[in-house]
Amino acid sequence: MVSETQRIALGLRQGDVVVLEALVEQYQYRLVRYLVSLLGRRDGVDDFVQETWLRVLERGGSYDGQSRFEPWLFRVARNIALDAMRKRAMFSLDSNEGDGVRSSPASGEPSPYTLAARTQDAERLAHSLQTLEPVYREALILRFQEDLSLQEISVIVGAPVSTVASRIYRGLATLRPQFEGDKA
Amino acid sequence: MNIDHNDTFQCMIDESLAGVLSKEKAQSLREHLSTCATCREYLSASNRVIAGLSGFSFEVNPTLNARVLAALKQAEGGRGIVASESGAIRQRSVPIKNWAAFAVALSMSFVGSGLVFQMAERLAVPRHFVSAHVQAGVLVFWLLPSLCAALCLLAAPSEKRGIA
Repeated sequence: MVSETQRIALGLRQGDVVVLEALVEQYQYRLVRYLVSLLGRRDGVDDFVQETWLRVLERGGSYDGQSRFEPWLFRVARNIALDAMRKRAMFSLDSNEGDGVRSSPASGEPSPYTLAARTQDAERLAHSLQTLEPVYREALILRFQEDLSLQEISVIVGAPVSTVASRIYRGLATLRPQFEGDKA
Repeated sequence: MNIDHNDTFQCMIDESLAGVLSKEKAQSLREHLSTCATCREYLSASNRVIAGLSGFSFEVNPTLNARVLAALKQAEGGRGIVASESGAIRQRSVPIKNWAAFAVALSMSFVGSGLVFQMAERLAVPRHFVSAHVQAGVLVFWLLPSLCAALCLLAAPSEKRGIA
């Protein structure tokens, strides 16, 4: 009995476009959402999405089907986006690297979170999320939006599980005060 | 003292939300929450953050899927034949550089075979070999292996696979 992930791995090894088309349909929205969260902006994300799928076609053979597909996909997308941003010398995800420049939309434009907020709680979080350290935002999004385990997030971001956990705790600690003492 | 005590349980709440809290600690946390309003509020605020994170809906450019699929088909263009899961056979494209390598190998194969044949015939006369034997020898030991090598070049993937 071939599992879903093994079927995907086989399709990618063969460069089967039918399999790839199904993956695009299934994961496109989550890929866009992850890249927006990673970069903190909407512009340029479509290019990274396209580049990600081309990389999946080109190097799909390195996905072994032993684990879920989305962490592998997000890692590919992350590498592409961060490589491109580094080349443009515009962006560093980890402000601890010293040369970090905060991700932000172009000046004067509303943040992607302000535009995407659909609930009152989301509206309250929009500004804080935009200004949150990208590494914390990424960890929170991967854990609570994408429902990935700490081990899976660790693989995506290339950091130890303890570091991922710490980022989640700090991210929560930064956002939590907005709802403390609020009975609504 | 009580603040330190609550800090411990609030750390456990964080661990619980991150999905790394042990069953024993989870039981201990549940018992504590039933008596501690401060930690209940801490948990409630954390859950509001998590609910808020799920309250964003990003619009995807409606043409993005078509654009991606077109780019994939273009990149895919020209590489051999692959069977899909359903068993249907579809044409895949072979990269131009594979065709170029095949053409070069094929040319070298025939030119090389011709040269070897000429040399072998010169050597064959003094040693009393029959010309047909020389032809068969060149075919089996030179032309066929070099043709196989050329075909392998055609079938080889254009790029090394690596970690994405």
